[in-house]
Amino acid sequence: MSDEHNHHHEERGNVLERELIRPRAPIAAPEPPTPPPDAGSEALAEALKSSFTIVKWIMGILVLVFLGSGFFKVEPGKKAIILRFGKPLQRNNAELLGPGLHWSFPAPIDSVQQIPYSQFQSVKSTTGWYYTTPEKEATGNEDPPGISLNPARDGYAITGDRDIIHTRATLLYHIEDPIRYEFEFTDGPRAVQDALDNALLYAAARFKVDDVLTRDIARFQDTVRQRVIELVDTNKLGIVVEQCQVQSIPPRKLQDAFDGVLKALSTRDKLHNDALSAANKTLADAAGQAAGITNSAEAERVRLVQSVGSEAKRFNDLLPQYNADPSLFVNVLLAQKIGQVLTNVEDKIYLPERADGKSRELRLQLSREPLAPPQPANP
Amino acid sequence: MKRNYTTLGIGALLILIFLAILSCVQVRQSTVVVITTFGKPSRTLDKPGLYLKWPIPIQWAHTFDQRIQNFDDKLDEAYTADSFTLLTMVYAGWKINDAQAFFPKFENGSIAEAERALTGIIRSTKTAVVGKHPLSDFVSTDEKQIKFDQIEHEILTMVQDQVNQKNYGIKMEFLGIKKLGFPEAVTQEVFKRMTSERELFSNRILAEANTEASNIRTSANAKSTEITANADAQATRIKGEALAEAAKSFAVFQQNPGLANFLLDLNAMELSMRDRTTLIFDQHSQPFNLFQGYSTNLFTSPK
Repeated sequence: MSDEHNHHHEERGNVLERELIRPRAPIAAPEPPTPPPDAGSEALAEALKSSFTIVKWIMGILVLVFLGSGFFKVEPGKKAIILRFGKPLQRNNAELLGPGLHWSFPAPIDSVQQIPYSQFQSVKSTTGWYYTTPEKEATGNEDPPGISLNPARDGYAITGDRDIIHTRATLLYHIEDPIRYEFEFTDGPRAVQDALDNALLYAAARFKVDDVLTRDIARFQDTVRQRVIELVDTNKLGIVVEQCQVQSIPPRKLQDAFDGVLKALSTRDKLHNDALSAANKTLADAAGQAAGITNSAEAERVRLVQSVGSEAKRFNDLLPQYNADPSLFVNVLLAQKIGQVLTNVEDKIYLPERADGKSRELRLQLSREPLAPPQPANP
Repeated sequence: MKRNYTTLGIGALLILIFLAILSCVQVRQSTVVVITTFGKPSRTLDKPGLYLKWPIPIQWAHTFDQRIQNFDDKLDEAYTADSFTLLTMVYAGWKINDAQAFFPKFENGSIAEAERALTGIIRSTKTAVVGKHPLSDFVSTDEKQIKFDQIEHEILTMVQDQVNQKNYGIKMEFLGIKKLGFPEAVTQEVFKRMTSERELFSNRILAEANTEASNIRTSANAKSTEITANADAQATRIKGEALAEAAKSFAVFQQNPGLANFLLDLNAMELSMRDRTTLIFDQHSQPFNLFQGYSTNLFTSPK
């Protein structure tokens, strides 16, 4: 009882204290006495106090979680842009957030858009290619070619000479203006692929089939590339073309006919090379023969000049002896020379005149045995 | 009372958040928002940011994608000006440029509905444009003749004109040809023509190759003949020069032509009777005149 009384007394004292520090109301009437709180109210107050404490903690944790959810990571090869209430905070490429950890206000205040940036992107155009699948192509199990092409199923391109080819391309590019690429197009890669499709048709439409396939492949590929670049600029796709690989083949049904042309071209090259080889040999032989003729002439000139020169010298040497006794000189020299000549002569026939002074009949067989070929030297 | 203030504060914050949800509209980059007041379009918000509006149900916000939409039409058949049947398919990039006009035209501002409408417009436009041009305007090896870009531009302009007339609130950003083809039966005929062209081409290549090879050989033979003829001429000239040079020594022989002739005769005789020579002589030939008066085995004395 005493405790309860003391408690009531303290309670009253507190109330009185509160009443004293509270600003006075302009009403002069005395306040009714505050009824003493019961135990249930006390328990409820305690429970509420505890609950509020828990709620405060939970709210604090929630606020931390809320703020913590604003951290985000930008992967390598990507850039990020923060939209605050939908409005980009970064207005140009230099301001974009690079790879690493970043923070923004969580949704709905901020939202983060990640954009592929430095890594190469690629699109493939098969608008001009026959129907197949990568699996069939890899296994070589493609459907056999038909006698015609179904436009709804098989792709192809019409060439400038109104023939048909199959052509496809792969374009490698990187995104130069990520803000435009991401925020101006619902499907940027598809816009790039459309440009590539168009470029293939555009280029094929002005080339002959043989130029596309064999004669002018490089110029055809360059035309495709230039057209893609032109469309990228015109349509402001925000990309830079890195590489454009083009592959073209004749219709599969006509493969044999096209191979026949290749064979003919190969045969033409062989005939040409053979003819050139034969021509070179002929010219080389002629050059050799000509050199032989002129060399022979040169040798003959030397021999003639030297021969005449030596004869002249000999003449000068013999002239004084001749002048001394011409008849004797002639006879001596003639006898010497005849002696030398007759030594070399193989057959010598002396044919005196007949005693009766009549002419003598002489029969000669002039067909001699041919000269024996030279014997090969023994090894 | 302190607890009451806290509670009131939290309650007020929640009410504010609720009102903000109802009264604020966020316009994201690349989107456009049409505000309708009691169902009637009253305001367009096309710049990104946070805006206020009257809460639902007084005002509603309708968000549209303002980015360029990619659109492919269907492969359609049309006749060219020179009566070829040509299949064409185009792609286009379009965007909403007037959301207030776009919104009521298509159910709930449906992109699919808009593209359905575009399909019809593009199809009729393609047919009209293809009919104005011969096939050579589409495919030709003559750069002056081909009008690929012009045809695309004509289709784009005509489609944009029709879209404007219908007040769709759409802008055509670009348009290009995605497929060109012939009907299936025509491709078969093209294959036959290409096959015969290939055969003709092969035969022509071989014929030209044979001719070229023959020409190369003939030319080489002619050149060879020319080379040897030139060599012969040069040899003749050399020999002539040699004779001229040798003739300078002939003055020496003028001192005694008789002796000169004698000596030259001796040389000629020696050179002409070197090997395998048969010499027939009688008793009048020097020195065989020494044999005069002697008989030989050929001699037959008269009976």
